[in-house]
Amino acid sequence: MSSQPSPRAEPLIRIVGLRKSYPLGDVTVHALRGVDMEMAAGTFATVVGASGSGKSTFMNILGLLDRPSGGQYFLEGEDVSGFDRDRRAVLRNRKIGFVFQNFNLLPRTSALENVELPLLYDGKPTSAQERHQKARGLLEAVGLGERAHHTPNQLSGGQQQRVAIARALVNDPEILLADEPTGNLDSRTSVEIMEILQRLNRDNGITIILITHEHDISEYGHRVITFRDGRVVSDEAVAARRDAAAELASLPALEEEAV
Amino acid sequence: MRFQNTLRIALMAIRRNKIRSALTMLGVIIGVASVIAMIALGSGARASIDEQIQSQGTNVIFVSAGSFGRPGGGAVRGGAGSVTTLTLEDARAISEVRGVTRISPMVRGRAQVIARDQNWNTSVEGGNEDYLSIRNWSLASGDNFTGRDVLVADKVCVLGDTVARNVFPDQDPVGQIIRVKNLPFRVLGVLAPKGQGQFGQDQDDLIIAPYTTIQKKLLGITHIQQVYVSAANSDDVERVAVEITRLMRQRHRINNPEEDDFTVRTVEEMAATRVQMANTMTGLLMSVASVSLLVGGIGIMNIMLVSVTERTREIGLRMAVGARMRDILRQFLAEAVCLSVVGGIAGIALGVLVSQGMTWRLGWPTMITSSSILIAFAFAGAVGIFFGYYPARKAANLDPIDALRYE
Repeated sequence: MSSQPSPRAEPLIRIVGLRKSYPLGDVTVHALRGVDMEMAAGTFATVVGASGSGKSTFMNILGLLDRPSGGQYFLEGEDVSGFDRDRRAVLRNRKIGFVFQNFNLLPRTSALENVELPLLYDGKPTSAQERHQKARGLLEAVGLGERAHHTPNQLSGGQQQRVAIARALVNDPEILLADEPTGNLDSRTSVEIMEILQRLNRDNGITIILITHEHDISEYGHRVITFRDGRVVSDEAVAARRDAAAELASLPALEEEAV
Repeated sequence: MRFQNTLRIALMAIRRNKIRSALTMLGVIIGVASVIAMIALGSGARASIDEQIQSQGTNVIFVSAGSFGRPGGGAVRGGAGSVTTLTLEDARAISEVRGVTRISPMVRGRAQVIARDQNWNTSVEGGNEDYLSIRNWSLASGDNFTGRDVLVADKVCVLGDTVARNVFPDQDPVGQIIRVKNLPFRVLGVLAPKGQGQFGQDQDDLIIAPYTTIQKKLLGITHIQQVYVSAANSDDVERVAVEITRLMRQRHRINNPEEDDFTVRTVEEMAATRVQMANTMTGLLMSVASVSLLVGGIGIMNIMLVSVTERTREIGLRMAVGARMRDILRQFLAEAVCLSVVGGIAGIALGVLVSQGMTWRLGWPTMITSSSILIAFAFAGAVGIFFGYYPARKAANLDPIDALRYE
């Protein structure tokens, strides 16, 4: 690639000397001690590391929830490291979808309304009907078209996580950040979720960055980034990438979870 | 975020916690309802006083013989009426004061009246032909007596509604003869009813006849007891009253106000104490009602604070998906204002019901004015904003990461 004469295109994410420290009681915790990284659009990366390794802090900064103490973060070529809260909120809304370990769905609120949530903050004059349509389409894409009007407590963990994925996608983000998305799920459901994420990455070209501490989950991505003590200690391609769809097909058929 | 989305989110949150929302609103409902009811009671009291003042006539000044015992007076004085110093010449002089449109000399006595087989004890008042117009009193039937009747001291009269109904229970009194202390008076007309007076007396229990007739034929006096004066306009009443006082002192050669042998009062003066009392009462009740509205507001603040804590994760999530600080602030403010405004509307309805209930069950005059509804509504909204701001601010200032991780 380096032999090509055309100037290299700006990667989706470029991080230079990223640092984060914060006071905790009397001591200053250095959560990130200089991280450099580039990530092209369409990457499926997994981030692993022990707790306290700085991976969560890194994800928070990547997700524009937090601001670095030093270094730069270029998102699509724009340095966003100095953005204030509101500018970061707008950018999060447009470019980043979040999937959390504990799903974080609004209780007593239908799946459909949960999925619509980011649309309420995009500042566009979308009608309620358009919102419903969009949300319903995404729920169908994650296989929950039938359960659009169920509330979270009427859904299984896997279904809730799928609602959360649909919500993360509703604003057509470039990046999907998943923080231990399978941490609360059994192994089969985990594979189902990974199947959806792999499909989104492959078919829609969404960049996915996934935090996990499960070794096998990290093998579903293209690339594994390992954090230790606030630094990236390894960043390598996955040699034998797992294919969730194929695994699901080989797994014994199981009835859809009863609700 | 667009306004209707803010409102939608707020209403959704309120609906998610129906019982809690209802109880929170109850505080505002009670507060607003009591404010509405208290204002209604106050306005009702004032309106009824106003009405009674109006029934005395517009811009009326009374000049009475005798002094209403002011403490520390030197001269020996009788009560009003027992003094004979007020004369027709005084009345005539008063009529020439600038700003006076009409006057009527007044004499008054009580008498047994008889017509056929009915008899009745009533007040007999003598005035001139202008007396009825000074008091804004219209006739239900028949005519008033004329200036000529006054001049010749004719035995004619008009009847108050109560007298007409009691003495002529089943016939038209107009044209009939009524005997007053054995003197036959021809009934020219019947007055329209006026109802209760300032002190609860029946204003319709009287007969009005030319004062000349009453003076000569019934009381045998030449002085008069009172002069009813009508001023040209209401702003001028005070000045005219002062002018009349000065004129009377001059005519009666009085230097020391302590020695006045007459009293000049305006209707407004007579009602002033009562208006003041009504205002004090209203103010007192209003402040109690306001306190309950305040307590309702504190209830909103309390619930909103609980709600912010409870929904910390939700707030974190909303921030993660793109809510800015002002979106969160507005959402919680909108929730508080919705609670207080919906409570306010319900409170207004309840307040109107309570006011009507008070009128209906207790007979207290109440009056619902559109301004009181507006004030209560605005107040409710203000309570929502005031007590909702702090919790909303707290929510908006949460850190998204901490909020998302909150357990």
